[in-house]
Amino acid sequence: MSEHRQALETQFAHILSEYGAAIARLAFSYEAVASVREELVQEIALAIWQALAHFRGDCSERTFVYRIAHNRGLSHVWRRRPPHQPLEEIEESDQPVDPRPQPEEQAARTDQRVRLMSAIQSLPLTHRQMIVLMLEGLSHAEIAEVTGITENNVAVRLTRARKALKDALGARP
Amino acid sequence: MIEDRELDGWREQWSGVAEPPAEFQCKVKERIKREERRFVLGNLLTVIAFLGMLTFAAFVRHRSTWMGTGWSTGICVLVFVAAGCRVWVLRRLWRPQTQSTRAFVELWHKRVTARIRLLRISVYLSLGWIIFCAVLTAANWATIGQDVRAHPNQWVALLVVCTLMQYPVLWYGAVWLRRRKLAELNEVKKILDEMDEKNVT
Repeated sequence: MSEHRQALETQFAHILSEYGAAIARLAFSYEAVASVREELVQEIALAIWQALAHFRGDCSERTFVYRIAHNRGLSHVWRRRPPHQPLEEIEESDQPVDPRPQPEEQAARTDQRVRLMSAIQSLPLTHRQMIVLMLEGLSHAEIAEVTGITENNVAVRLTRARKALKDALGARP
Repeated sequence: MIEDRELDGWREQWSGVAEPPAEFQCKVKERIKREERRFVLGNLLTVIAFLGMLTFAAFVRHRSTWMGTGWSTGICVLVFVAAGCRVWVLRRLWRPQTQSTRAFVELWHKRVTARIRLLRISVYLSLGWIIFCAVLTAANWATIGQDVRAHPNQWVALLVVCTLMQYPVLWYGAVWLRRRKLAELNEVKKILDEMDEKNVT
């Protein structure tokens, strides 16, 4: 195996361990069905691997990963219409398991999470992307790099996206 | 620093949403190997098909059957024109999807438009190919006519098969693909409009 390939594989393994959870969360915002979501996560990882050889460091690794992940998510939404399946319809086994003991608190947390995810999924794609990047803790500059708009525009759109999310959460029981 | 409890609450809920499965990395590596094999195989098949067509053209060129020189020339022209059209229409559109979402969607829009154009060119090319064959047949009717009179059943069967192939492939295939590509174009336009905030509700 060539040194270049080995270096790429090491970098790829690092990316997967560093951003694997983030990719899985992001896939959750684009796909509600667990089996299809797993496929989407793999597709995103594959796209990152394919693009890694062309990555010249002109943006941060984080931005690079989120760009690819969101672009893949967008293509996925197109390929898999109708796009939105409310999370209420997902079977129980799709829900992440919280290992903490208190059942009532756990149930309440799960319920809040389901409401949040369902609300995010109901947003228009651009709002959804803004909200997801904000929840992932990206700065305005990083969001601007991922989306390709100016920082000022990011601030304006984030405000709108947050309002839309609040409205969507308010509309859910 | 300003505290944003609402955002913190959302972030806490969000962080517990999903974790990748334990065997995630292994599955991804398997998938990569599979894709790489598919990529190599796909390229190999394309080259084999390309060379196969050219070999077939060379083969019929040296046989004194009714197919003759014209057919082999036609096949070569079709292969090179089809490849050339594809390369020309999809030129500068192979950039990887590592760019910003906006650039990616704009590129996607260009790609779909190019594919619709390619589809139109393909239909014209196929029609041109049929006309070319018809003209060639008419020009060589003295030779072909003898063969037709000698084996009329074979020629009728050939004509029926060609018509049946052309109709579903050219007509239904093109119509289905065009409809699909137009739907994709509408979707991409919708996303672009959303980005420009034209129709966001």
